[in-house]
Amino acid sequence: MDARLRRVNKEIADCKNDKSSNIDIDLVDNSPFHLIGSFDGPEGTPYEGGHFEVDIVIPDSYPFQPVKMKFITKIYHPNVSSASGAICLDILKDAWSPVLTLKSTLISLQSLLCSPEPRDPQDAEVAKHYMTSKSSFEETARYWTEIYAGGPGKAGKGKASGPRDEIAMAGLDSAHVQQFQSLGFEKSKVIDVLRRMNYRGANVANINDDRVVEEMLKP
Amino acid sequence: MSSADEYSDDDAGYYDEDDDEMLVDDDGSASEMELDPMNDFHEGSSRRKIYEIDYESLSQADVERQMKSEVEYITSIFGVTVDVASLLLRHFDWNKEKLIEKYMDNATTVSVAAGITPPEKAPKRPAASGGRLHSSSELSRESLIGPRRSSRRVASAATKSSKSKLLERATPPRQDEPFVCPICFDDTQTEFMSLVCDHKYCKGCWGAYIESKVKTEAESWISCMAEDCDVVATDTFVQQVLGEDKGTWGRFQELLVRHYVSHRPELKYCPYPSCTYTVSCSISRASLATQVPIVTCGNGATHKFCFGCNVDSDHRPVICPVAKMWLQKCHDDSETANWIKSNTKECSKCQSTIEKNGGCNHMTCKKCKYEFCWVCMGPWSEHGTSWYNCNRYDEKASKDARDAQSRSRASLERYLHYYNRWANHEQSKKLSVELYAKTEKKMEEMQITSELSWIEVQFMKKAVDEVIKCRTTLMWTYAMAYYLEFGNEKELFEDNQRDLERAVEDLSELIESPLDPEVIKTLRQKVTDRTVYVTKRNEIVLEDTARGFLEGRWTWNSPVAGLD
Ligand SMILES: [Zn+2]
Ligand SMILES: [Zn+2]
Ligand SMILES: [Zn+2]
Ligand SMILES: [Zn+2]
Ligand SMILES: [Zn+2]
Ligand SMILES: [Zn+2]
Repeated sequence: MDARLRRVNKEIADCKNDKSSNIDIDLVDNSPFHLIGSFDGPEGTPYEGGHFEVDIVIPDSYPFQPVKMKFITKIYHPNVSSASGAICLDILKDAWSPVLTLKSTLISLQSLLCSPEPRDPQDAEVAKHYMTSKSSFEETARYWTEIYAGGPGKAGKGKASGPRDEIAMAGLDSAHVQQFQSLGFEKSKVIDVLRRMNYRGANVANINDDRVVEEMLKP
Repeated sequence: MSSADEYSDDDAGYYDEDDDEMLVDDDGSASEMELDPMNDFHEGSSRRKIYEIDYESLSQADVERQMKSEVEYITSIFGVTVDVASLLLRHFDWNKEKLIEKYMDNATTVSVAAGITPPEKAPKRPAASGGRLHSSSELSRESLIGPRRSSRRVASAATKSSKSKLLERATPPRQDEPFVCPICFDDTQTEFMSLVCDHKYCKGCWGAYIESKVKTEAESWISCMAEDCDVVATDTFVQQVLGEDKGTWGRFQELLVRHYVSHRPELKYCPYPSCTYTVSCSISRASLATQVPIVTCGNGATHKFCFGCNVDSDHRPVICPVAKMWLQKCHDDSETANWIKSNTKECSKCQSTIEKNGGCNHMTCKKCKYEFCWVCMGPWSEHGTSWYNCNRYDEKASKDARDAQSRSRASLERYLHYYNRWANHEQSKKLSVELYAKTEKKMEEMQITSELSWIEVQFMKKAVDEVIKCRTTLMWTYAMAYYLEFGNEKELFEDNQRDLERAVEDLSELIESPLDPEVIKTLRQKVTDRTVYVTKRNEIVLEDTARGFLEGRWTWNSPVAGLD
């Protein structure tokens, strides 16, 4: 039997038999080389209560070259692209070792959710948000968990049951957004510019309002 | 296009009007011998021309011999094995002096850093300090394949719950079970190997791992497969693992040579694809202000490149810093100048579209028969005479410019003049692939229609080779002229440039003209003569420019980075 196939089959079987780790690996189609891994957001983090899915592609030279993983579930985290789900983690690159497994790699991803590394970011805007105001960042990450990963959130209070709150999605203050909207700019434009400029927390004092307006006037 | 015959009447005047540097034989004919392509390829310095430099081409085996003697030197002074010496040198990027200094200072630290010994095996430390599993009987599948503390991030960050889970899962070793490779789980494997760290894996996995490192990552620094283990595979280990896989072993050796060469200032690896030759040349940085170190690797006469910069072709006569400046300028202004590169233009008389498909610049409109120059779009009639001025830019316009707007327009026009001619020669060179095919066909035709043998029709191919070579020179003369300060020296430079350009265009036209079986013998003589003439004109440009650099005759109209 093909060595790669034997190894992957064993890994999938081991993972199925191991109930304690709470890591799941499922086949996407009939190929064992394209999988979906999933795990729960760690307790005590903004991802708690969410369930996260990861796309797994086993390259031809596995396990001698690293497995390819990216988040399917949208997640607000400095080391994960908020747009594509691409992950910045050393063991998925040059720190990979053939003794690492799909399960151990997924556990590493889970641990990454506990301790972001904003100094080595995948998503620079999210990383800036994290560095500026951790509490505001966590609020946004929690909101994303609620919207995309089935987290508990404030749904009970009726807030998220309506349309998605774009301001909360961008981690902004609704008072700030309204302030610029009142100058006649469109809401989506205001959100986009303020998000890019990291108009949050203590950083607000560093940004001249004229610069914000200038930015909004750009086509 | 004109036929070959049109040229016979102006031949005399054409050659005679030239200066005292006339190098063609008195009777105007040249022997085939002078066209020997090896004529311009010299190994020894005795026949070295002023625009050539001293260098040596080395095969992979030659470089390996050099590496071997470095390794032997280290083995002799430290009393270590060849494998260890090799790892030490590679770790220090072949800097012997630094290696010796650091090794004398603290051999243990150096050995760990160089992947020779694992930290816990290094002497002067308690034997049981490491947390690693040592003997094979202790190895358990679960403990190796299970989740492990990994990487800086996870190691520092694992939450309480996941960390404790990891520890729980490490089941005690089972002594009596047969060893199974923890990577492939193939229980039919019988041959296991490990580096000094004792991390055992089957030979098949080692082979697949090394192959993937070498072939996919082009990496020769191959660390142990165990996580966070920095012990590195020695050459002997790699060779043992690869066994019959000669392809990967060969590539591994090539990577070692490349690594060595990249850390030697006097060596440069041939940039041509899949070539494994190296050139050795001891030109100093400072000499790059006056010399252009164009070299050819011993693998083939077409593997020509510059030792001083990253240009993968001959950029004589212009020196590296100026060539670099010009290429940067062309890159920055590529959009402005893009239209020039198009292969079609409009006839300035009747506006019908004309396509260029050869290297020759003498164009004839199919519709109105207007003969013009592809480069300046001016009438061709002026180009055949001593009034030929196509190469020169009239600096008057930029001098007369008073306001900023006309100044900037004049500066763009000036740039476009030089760029246009540069790009045109480059394009003509590219069209030469086509020309080669056409010439080949023509040569076959000649053999059929005349009594000339295959050897005797080679003059056509030699002519094409020469045209391509000279167009390369011409290209770079425009880069040079763009930066040359206006004055007498530039005038003289442009005289030489003009003479070479005219000679090249004439020869180019001659070899692209339709073949008339009646006059093949005459054509042969004519092509041969003009090829010799073109070679000499090229020589004059290269020699005079090189001499000018040595004499400090050239002054630039803008500061050149890298020159004092
Ligand atoms: Zn194996
Ligand atoms: Zn090891
Ligand atoms: Zn070569
Ligand atoms: Zn150069
Ligand atoms: Zn016309
Ligand atoms: Zn012209």
